[in-house]
Amino acid sequence: MELSWTTSESALRWPWLVAVLVLLVVGLLVAWVRVWSRRTPTGAAYVAHAARLRSLPRYRALVQRRQLFGALGSFAALVACAGGILLGGRVQDTQVMERNDSARDIMLCLDASGSTAPWNVAVIQELRDIVRGLQGERIGLTVWNNAAITKFPLTDDYGFVLDRLDEAEQAFAGWSEILPTQEFDDYTAGTWSENRDNQSSLVADGLVSCVQRFDLLGKSEKKRGRAVIFATDGEQRGKGVFNLEEAADYAAERDVAVHVIANPGEPDRDGDIAGLQAVADRTGGSFADLGTDGSAADVVDRIDDLKAERLQKPPLVQKVDEPRTGQVVAGIGVLLLLLVWAAQGAIAWVERSTR
Amino acid sequence: MAAHLTRVKTRLSIHAHRKVRGLLQGEYAAIQVGRGIDFNDLREYVRGDDVKDIDWKASARSRTLLVRRYVAERKHTIIFAVSTGRSMAAMNDAQHDKRELAVFVTGVMGYLAVRHGDLVCLVHGDARRQHARPPDGGELYLERLLGLVHEAITPDAAPSDLRGVLDYTAKAIRRRGILVVVSDETRISDELAESLRRLTAQHEVLFLTIGDLDPTLVDGAPRRLVDIDAGAEVPDWLRGDPQLQEEYAALVTGEENQLRRRLDQLGIVHEQIRDTDSAIAAVFRMLERHRHARRR
Repeated sequence: MELSWTTSESALRWPWLVAVLVLLVVGLLVAWVRVWSRRTPTGAAYVAHAARLRSLPRYRALVQRRQLFGALGSFAALVACAGGILLGGRVQDTQVMERNDSARDIMLCLDASGSTAPWNVAVIQELRDIVRGLQGERIGLTVWNNAAITKFPLTDDYGFVLDRLDEAEQAFAGWSEILPTQEFDDYTAGTWSENRDNQSSLVADGLVSCVQRFDLLGKSEKKRGRAVIFATDGEQRGKGVFNLEEAADYAAERDVAVHVIANPGEPDRDGDIAGLQAVADRTGGSFADLGTDGSAADVVDRIDDLKAERLQKPPLVQKVDEPRTGQVVAGIGVLLLLLVWAAQGAIAWVERSTR
Repeated sequence: MAAHLTRVKTRLSIHAHRKVRGLLQGEYAAIQVGRGIDFNDLREYVRGDDVKDIDWKASARSRTLLVRRYVAERKHTIIFAVSTGRSMAAMNDAQHDKRELAVFVTGVMGYLAVRHGDLVCLVHGDARRQHARPPDGGELYLERLLGLVHEAITPDAAPSDLRGVLDYTAKAIRRRGILVVVSDETRISDELAESLRRLTAQHEVLFLTIGDLDPTLVDGAPRRLVDIDAGAEVPDWLRGDPQLQEEYAALVTGEENQLRRRLDQLGIVHEQIRDTDSAIAAVFRMLERHRHARRR
């Protein structure tokens, strides 16, 4: 699922503050102008015949310069004020994120037994392709041998999912019949129960365990689409709690589709593959051999076909301060003021030095 | 109340005691007009003479009624024409008002005249209205005239109009006299020159001008300056600009030259009063020049 914020509108957080500040500035300006114009000449000395000054060319030059700089300075100050007011009002962008999550859960269900371990690297690559093709579904990973452990529960954080798959790939790459690496041992720790040492690769139990990893089974009012991607060679040693048909029924009762990715594990006994095929058929899933062309794409297609209500989550709305406009305006104003001051200073300096 | 004349006396005694004594001892050419003073010029009383003029002591000695006719003839009238428009309420320099200075020079001239026994009269006014005070003698009267001048000069007064004051003088004062014009004119316009020419035919005219504060100077100047004619503030950023100061100084010098040239053409003795310290010297300088000037 693409998570993207779309900016819908810009508004002021505190419009009343803008109004108050504008009124304040205007009020101060008016008061200042009135005081200026009405200023009683108390404490001032009178000078007569000052009108003679106005006929001097130098006077006109000075007045023109003063007017120019005064106008520029006032403009700059007003711009700076406007910027400050904008900042004070806190311009905010309202950003909306539409969340149309698919109400679908996918449990990756990985056989970690010694018979399939060498193939698991390829299986994980396949799974990664599948994950990359998904959008908005929740994904979990369960690894099992004669017991199942949850590597990570259902989540829609795909970055996390891919990281965990990388970790799994590294771990399975370290498998060897004689001396597995520490990584492999650590990763599969817990999937082998010593109590059942004559049983391993309990396919049916693994499948049921994976089905049990779904949350809200039968409780959710909204119907969620659920699928297990079941990677195994189908070879089972010993007898588990469930047999394969019971497991298929268990999944089917709970509307969980089982997509089987079969790998050519060791001794390929007849019936194993057929049993897996039957599970896929029984639950409405698909069956593919590992590495066959389009198996990943096929699974993605089938998952897309899963009927599930689109979750109608309310859109996420966030308001983000957007101070840049105010900062730029205030900055321009202050910069102009500085320029005016600098220009005045420069002119005064030049005149003093040339004299 | 009697502050104006007291100030004049103090200054006179401090600054120019010798000169003043000399002047008051009968060398006041302008007032004496070259005649000897003859106090014994009595004549017999005839009907219609003012009873006040009877010299009772002389009458008692000679057993005939004698009147002193000469006193009235000897007394000169000093007419002060003071322009008391609002521009006079401005500053002369950083420390002094033009008003102070106008009152002061009027007081110096008036005191000299009063001490000599001459009569003083006053015409003052602005563009709106002019006033005249009749000739009279005595320090108290002079003090009152100085008070009038002092009160008339306010920032709320109408604009200055020296020509109006002079024309009013021509209408109101019939007798001959010595006209002392105290104004702050910066230049003599053609109309003003015409008014002055008419007055010079009647009076001897002395012209005193009072200068203005240079609004472009920084040192010692008040913090804020208001143009009294326009009522607007003279912005402080104009001050201290060297080029503006030069141009302003050149302008003022040019105007002073124009004023002096026009007054010289009219045969009017003129002196510029710059401050209180040099005012007495300026008055004496003017009187001295007037003594040597061509008489009409």
